[in-house]
Amino acid sequence: MVFKVTRAIAASMLALGTAMAHADATSDTIDKYVTFSGFGTLGVVRSDYGKADFVGNVIQPRGAGSNSWSANPDSDLGGQANFTLTDALSGVVQVLSRQDANGQFKPTLEWANLQYEINSDLKVRLGRMVLPTYERSDTQNVGYTLPWVRIPIEIAYMDAGLHSDGVDVLYRVKTGSVTQNLQVQLGRTAVDLPGVEFTSTPAAVVVFSDTLQYGDTSLRLVYQKYDGSGFPEVRLQVTGAGLTYDPGAWFVMGDSNYSQDKYFGALFAWYVSGGVRLGRFAPYAIYSTTRAQSVGTSGLKSLGNDHTVAAGVRWDFAKNLDTKLQLQRVVLDSLDDTASFADVGPGARVGDKTNVLSWTLDFVF
Amino acid sequence: MVIINLAAATISKAQIADLYLGRSDARTPIDQPVGSEIYVEFYKKVTGRDSAQVKAIWSRILFTGSGVPPKQLRDSAAVKKAVAANPKAVGYIEKSAVDASIKVAVSID
Repeated sequence: MVFKVTRAIAASMLALGTAMAHADATSDTIDKYVTFSGFGTLGVVRSDYGKADFVGNVIQPRGAGSNSWSANPDSDLGGQANFTLTDALSGVVQVLSRQDANGQFKPTLEWANLQYEINSDLKVRLGRMVLPTYERSDTQNVGYTLPWVRIPIEIAYMDAGLHSDGVDVLYRVKTGSVTQNLQVQLGRTAVDLPGVEFTSTPAAVVVFSDTLQYGDTSLRLVYQKYDGSGFPEVRLQVTGAGLTYDPGAWFVMGDSNYSQDKYFGALFAWYVSGGVRLGRFAPYAIYSTTRAQSVGTSGLKSLGNDHTVAAGVRWDFAKNLDTKLQLQRVVLDSLDDTASFADVGPGARVGDKTNVLSWTLDFVF
Repeated sequence: MVIINLAAATISKAQIADLYLGRSDARTPIDQPVGSEIYVEFYKKVTGRDSAQVKAIWSRILFTGSGVPPKQLRDSAAVKKAVAANPKAVGYIEKSAVDASIKVAVSID
């Protein structure tokens, strides 16, 4: 039912926006009601590991096999329309094409919501919103907004940062120099659980998050609870904490989350990353890992375990364009659906070390 | 020079940085053309960031449906006019362009 409402919101906004745009013939006023923007990434990845495919996010079934370049993990394209209906009412519709759980690049609706501003500190949104599960989960597909080629896959292992259809409330509170951005979200989502078989399992989700910002420092705390009665049952709680310090000339950030599910057990994933800005170049390094903490009813003991050391550089070579080169060494610490790989073959061993080279070109328009 | 409306309360450099990086909605920031000399100087001195970094920050806000980048006006004369007309507007212009229609909130050197 909520999905139907989301579709209706998207369709009516497109119709209303187009109607308002036609009503005012000059291009100046069209801009007032609807603006278009978009983003994309062209990327190729090469892995030296012959026994599994390196993937760009946890739901991709195929990625880069050994000694061949693959554009599948990171390439994507997105288009967005922003609507300003009144001073307080606006909307957004975003369509994304990226390799999905079926290995296809079918366009999906990522964002489709109406936002009502009660005052400058309080907003309500209705429709589809991407879940704020981990740092940057809401822009994970917009390469231009990330300092790295992709978000370290380990942090996303238990949830691929999917969207939820429902309602949320955003409240901003300022106490002295500290600003708190509070969010409560309720909706229905489809969860992609570890293992290629368990994709798009429907679940209800509740999110509470608080981002405390003080100048160039921000601390993000989030709690999510998913409940679904399919197979396997989804009784998942994710608690996350992330810290970023970014004064511009350099940055350091870390993110972590602890996931607890009845079937899959408990996992703890985290990463730290740092980088500097040298003119138009921004080199960076990342250490990321995920480790199973306890066993669920599935009986899998070391779900997802791997760790990665990555280093790369971003070059903002032209307006609205950047290119990145990233080299990472991934160590498989498990054969139970290790986070960075799909399609793990029979020759794989715990302790296998792999080298992965990624090159991407990001653009926004 | 960062300028505000004659009737507006004063504003600090940190608050201006917050407005232009999308961390605060308290007032309405106005930009000069992206990539122009004054744009680059303003962002470097007030936020410590270059044009690409600023674009990446606003892209994050735009592509999460959380907001839109500051409106861009043609030149300092247009910025002055907009700030003089709106008590919540904030803009930046050259020192030589300052006149009595607006007041200076923070001087950027």
